[in-house]
Amino acid sequence: MKLLERWKPQFRRDPVQAAHDRNRGFEAAPAAGLHDLQTRLNHWSHLWSHDGQSGMPTEAQEIVAKRLSRWMDQCFGQHVQGTLRCKDDQISLASSTPIFTAFLGRRATRELSRRVLQDI
Amino acid sequence: MHRLVRWIWILLALHLTLGMIAYGHFLVTGQYTLLGWYFGGLGTLFFVVMTAGEFCLAIICRSWFDSDEPMRLAWGMIACAALARLVGTLLRAISDGHLPWGDWHRLLQPSGGLFVSLSQLGLVVGGPVSMAFLAVGLGRVLGIQRRFHLISSLTRGDKTLLFLVVAFSISQLAINLPLLGNHPSLGTMLLWLSDPFLSLLLIEAILVRRSVIRMGQGLVAKCWGMFVLAILITSAGDASIWAANHSLLSERVTALTWYIWFFAAAAFASAPAYQLAAIALTRHDAMHLPETR
Repeated sequence: MKLLERWKPQFRRDPVQAAHDRNRGFEAAPAAGLHDLQTRLNHWSHLWSHDGQSGMPTEAQEIVAKRLSRWMDQCFGQHVQGTLRCKDDQISLASSTPIFTAFLGRRATRELSRRVLQDI
Repeated sequence: MHRLVRWIWILLALHLTLGMIAYGHFLVTGQYTLLGWYFGGLGTLFFVVMTAGEFCLAIICRSWFDSDEPMRLAWGMIACAALARLVGTLLRAISDGHLPWGDWHRLLQPSGGLFVSLSQLGLVVGGPVSMAFLAVGLGRVLGIQRRFHLISSLTRGDKTLLFLVVAFSISQLAINLPLLGNHPSLGTMLLWLSDPFLSLLLIEAILVRRSVIRMGQGLVAKCWGMFVLAILITSAGDASIWAANHSLLSERVTALTWYIWFFAAAAFASAPAYQLAAIALTRHDAMHLPETR
């Protein structure tokens, strides 16, 4: 290793410093791009899980919930939603993905999520 | 009803129609000729088609789960159970000379006193071995269902049924254990495990049934419901054999009970077909979504 270090001095660099150097590229990103990314992530988070504390569900969340309910009925049955969630909670991708993954598999669930989020 | 499941039950209906002609012939003439031909030829063919179909479908279902997903093992075990039933059917067909390739099967007779005949080996593979695989697979499924709180508490009827199943199993073991003194073959002893394994499957079936009731009428619920139905029919078939052996049934009723096994085979094959239908639904473009924007 010593011989290798002599010829390749960059191997001896501090890993934290190296990671910092790599991240410099991200700092150069324009603020508008970051804002757009943040907006998209927030939109996705709202669709992924709807907690009762964040106020009334949006139209998109309601559509996702309706689609998921339909998938739940088709795949499992009409009673399964009552078994899985509390009465007040609206069904969301976060609450339904584990059971879909367990019984249909990861790949089928990915496909199902894609269809649920279609056109939204 | 899903296309594959519909085909399975249409095939069963056609097969039973032919079977009823053979049974009618038996009722009129009192001769077993046509009935023997039906069960030996068409019956064996039906079992081979159903178990082979079940095996292929279960393997496809298994392939939809990644190696770290618990359902992969469950479907793998169910596929092994189907394969064991297929091998058992073929071994019995070869031994009984129902397959059209002459008498060379006599060369395959097992030696060493482990199994009395190739037919007994077929019974062991298609019976206790297959049941053991299925029990492991359903056990895995029950674990997953429990994780999602899908299994509700047992009713009084369930508990009574469980008690009867365990009592029957213990009584059968109590009858068989003294026979160990006669030095039975390994095959005979393994066949004694049929009742305990069937009891275990019935217990699992009762628990799976509770989860199916909690789910509703969806495709996944129907898949596991079909396993419950198949196990119940198998138990009914087993009970009819016991009743016939104790001369509790007339000759006509005994012949009628032989048809039970076709229903069990169709129910076993329908289970993975329903699972596949649920998976296929996620890839189906025609599924109309409500309120698309």
